Amino acid sequence: MRTQITSSATVMSSDAVKKRKPKVIRSEAGAPETKRGRAEGDQDVRVYNEEVELEVRDPQQDYMLYKDTCAALAKLMEEIQELKAGGAKVQSVEIEERRTQCSVHFITLKKLNRLAHMRLKKGRDQTHEAKQRVDVLHLQLQNLLYEVMHLQKEIGKCLEFRSQHEEIELVSEEEFFQEAPAEISRPHVTRDDQHQLTLARLDWELEQRKRLAEQYKMSLARKEKIQKAIEQKREYLSSLQPGLQNIMQASLPVQEYLAIPFEHMQKQAEVARHLPPPLYVLLVQAGAYGQACDKNLSVSISGDVDEAKALSRPPEDSQDDESDSDAEEEQQNTKRRRATLGVQLDDKRKEMLRRHPLSLCVDLKCKDGSVLHLFFYYLMNLNILTVKTKVSTTTDLSGAVSAGELLNSESLLNCLYASDHGKETPNPANRYQFDKVGITTFGDYVSDLGHPFVWVQKLGGLQFSSGGAQSGLTGSALSASHMERTMKLLRGRLQARLALHKQFSSLEHSIIPVSSECQHLFPAKVVSGLVRWTTMSCQEFTELGFVQHVLKAGLVHETDLFFMATVERGTARLRAAVVMNPRYPEVAPLFSLSLHWKGERSGRTDDNLQAMESEVNVFRSELQGPRPGLQLLTNQIQRLCVCLDVYLETESQVCDGSEGPKEFPREKMCLRTARGPSRLKPFKYNHPQGFFSHR
Amino acid sequence: MFISLQLLHMSVFSQSFSPCGRFLAAGNNYGEIAVFSLSAALSPDASEASQKPILNFTAHDGPVFSLLSTDTHLLSAGNGEISAWSWAELIKKVRISCSVNDNSLIVGGGDNNIHIMDMETGIFKSVLKGHTDYIHCLCFKEREEEILSGGEDGAVRIWDARTNRPVHCIEVFKYEECARPQFGKWISCLATDSDWMLCGGGPSLSLWHLRSMSPTSVFPLPGCQREAVFYQDLIMSVGEGPHVSHCLHGGTVKAQIPCTPSSLNTLALNLKNSEHRVMTVGGSSHQIDVFTNFSYRAFSLSF
Repeated sequence: MRTQITSSATVMSSDAVKKRKPKVIRSEAGAPETKRGRAEGDQDVRVYNEEVELEVRDPQQDYMLYKDTCAALAKLMEEIQELKAGGAKVQSVEIEERRTQCSVHFITLKKLNRLAHMRLKKGRDQTHEAKQRVDVLHLQLQNLLYEVMHLQKEIGKCLEFRSQHEEIELVSEEEFFQEAPAEISRPHVTRDDQHQLTLARLDWELEQRKRLAEQYKMSLARKEKIQKAIEQKREYLSSLQPGLQNIMQASLPVQEYLAIPFEHMQKQAEVARHLPPPLYVLLVQAGAYGQACDKNLSVSISGDVDEAKALSRPPEDSQDDESDSDAEEEQQNTKRRRATLGVQLDDKRKEMLRRHPLSLCVDLKCKDGSVLHLFFYYLMNLNILTVKTKVSTTTDLSGAVSAGELLNSESLLNCLYASDHGKETPNPANRYQFDKVGITTFGDYVSDLGHPFVWVQKLGGLQFSSGGAQSGLTGSALSASHMERTMKLLRGRLQARLALHKQFSSLEHSIIPVSSECQHLFPAKVVSGLVRWTTMSCQEFTELGFVQHVLKAGLVHETDLFFMATVERGTARLRAAVVMNPRYPEVAPLFSLSLHWKGERSGRTDDNLQAMESEVNVFRSELQGPRPGLQLLTNQIQRLCVCLDVYLETESQVCDGSEGPKEFPREKMCLRTARGPSRLKPFKYNHPQGFFSHR
Repeated sequence: MFISLQLLHMSVFSQSFSPCGRFLAAGNNYGEIAVFSLSAALSPDASEASQKPILNFTAHDGPVFSLLSTDTHLLSAGNGEISAWSWAELIKKVRISCSVNDNSLIVGGGDNNIHIMDMETGIFKSVLKGHTDYIHCLCFKEREEEILSGGEDGAVRIWDARTNRPVHCIEVFKYEECARPQFGKWISCLATDSDWMLCGGGPSLSLWHLRSMSPTSVFPLPGCQREAVFYQDLIMSVGEGPHVSHCLHGGTVKAQIPCTPSSLNTLALNLKNSEHRVMTVGGSSHQIDVFTNFSYRAFSLSF
């Protein structure tokens, strides 16, 4: 907006500013500043108002004037230039004239400049004023708008306001008018006025509530009283309980005296309710058998009843528990992945092989006071019964070294019935269960869990389809049909083992115990004597040279017991390897002989030794002794000694004597020393004549 | 189990083939006689079952020490009694003992005597006394009608069957080349073939020339021989030791064929039937070995 005058007279513009200032002050009718303006002279007199002039003059005209002046100035400058160039002097008149004209033009220019400035200023001032007016109005507008908004908000809030009274559920209007008394409802007022109606209703509500609170307090008080009465009665009842217990205790001796173990049986019946079915069957049958036939049999239940009760709780709880534990397990798994893979399998195995917490204990007492304890367990997931044994005797049985295996609880009940080893589970379904958890044989766990014999399953009424013939019985009938025989076998087994134990301890002392009932089987004088009796392992037995024929005939099993007896007379030594079946004495021990005298002979090489073997093995029924035949082994050994005597004494007889005095003089009376193509010796002893003959 | 025990301790003492040659009877130490069908056992489709007896019965209380077949009957001798069984009935698996219709039976007994019995009547015709101990073996020379007997006393006696008188007595143990004092002097096997005689037992098995009454060859067999036979130009003998010895007349042992039993009591050759020409041996085992080719064991019959 400023017109830019490109002139070299910049000094003048600053002067113009100075000069302008006092003029402006003057036009604003401010206090006239008279300090400056020495070039002006009398300012108070001459009131030169350029502003007035401004309104008069036309800007266009001024603009034209300016242009003219500039042109004239330019022209004059040119003339001066020409003159100067034409060689005129600086102080010449033309140049001075022209210079004066230039100065006049300059003054014009300056005025024009001043006017321009003043116009500009005026314009600005006007604009400024207008703007100010507009601003003020704008501000007012804003204020009003703001207030409007505020008010609108307030209105909105007021409209939204929910008073608490609206949350109170009031009875409906009709009810209100019906029920409320007149002073509260004031229908004449409230029917018309909504506000009053609401107030009245609220009043009514308050009334009602107060009344109900009263009632509530009274009811509470009554309840307290009744509660106290109940407590008193309960205390009274519980005080009766110890009294009853005392009476029960006192009645126990009476029960015993009358031999009705009523309470004991009741307790047992109570616990028996929680037994799993096979154990229950076994309990009932064994108890019945004991009462009816065998006074020395007693049955009792042992174990944790609470756990058993826990097992029979409703399944939802256990399912929840399962899912919880599963979740926990999974959490664990994600945390420690490697460690729990085997542990998980282990846990699954343990779960599969879990025993029911209750177990049965059956005690079989024998006449000499020793007791066979049988502990029956039920494996829940496999549905089989197992048994563990323990023998308690009245006398100490530590005498015999070789008898170590006899009463070993692991092998005591082996092969009670033929080929019932108790190493594998008889339930074929278990095979699939084992595959899932990676159990290869049940035999590994037998020492912990007990032996799953087939007869145990039968006693519990569990019948598994095996190759053999199936009886149509199940459950109790099956159990009952096997009970008597099994119990007899068990007892027989215990007695046999105890008898063997005693016999072994004396055999180890090189004494062959022959009872008086069996003396008639043997001659009075027996010179050969037992010098050693030891036990052998199956391995050692199979390595012996002279027993191969027995092995080949398949008469040796893993479950058998092996012994070595050494009989000596003079320089002759007879070794006998004995194979004893666990079912002794039903199954006789098998002897294999080897004689060391002037060379080594065995039953295979020497016909006479074979004859001796058949004397003890085949003709053993004579050697049974009194029932139940427990002296079979000792009688067999004694017969061996007798036969060795005969062998040695008759042997030297047969050879035609080129040697000196016979080592074994003939003492036995024999009819004939040789018979038959194999020239066997007379091994059969005849009582009471006391001579030996051939069979 | 008891049966297998019995089998374990069984010894076969005697054998005899039936007259038709199709059956074999064997007697064991329990007094049982078992009849085996050879035709079944030798047939191409023989199985395990055909190696079992078709008939098995208890003939005597004691062991059956000798069996002898006549044309119609099987005679079995045990501990003091002789029973006769009809082959026809046996083949039909029935056992009946009945009388026989043949001529005489020569029985050597444990009473040290030889008895000659008339088989028609069952009466003993004569007794030959002479042995001092029980008689092990007997054989008969048809041509000269002589009876040879060998016994526990170590003597081989030759008797004239017509006159019932002893003709010779050979005490084998007195001959140095035969004698084996460590075993004893008893003679347990005898066999004759016209002029030759085999005898053995305590002394070594030896071949004798009867005219000169002297041993011509002695067989170096280790054990005591219990039975020996002449067969064509071989001598076969069995005894202690699990083998059948084939020997030549010259005195050499040609072969020793192994067998199942650990010692053998009896050897029998089935010459009556050309189809079933076998040799069977039995001993201290429940198995009887059958040789179809005499050089090796073919199979075993089992009690």
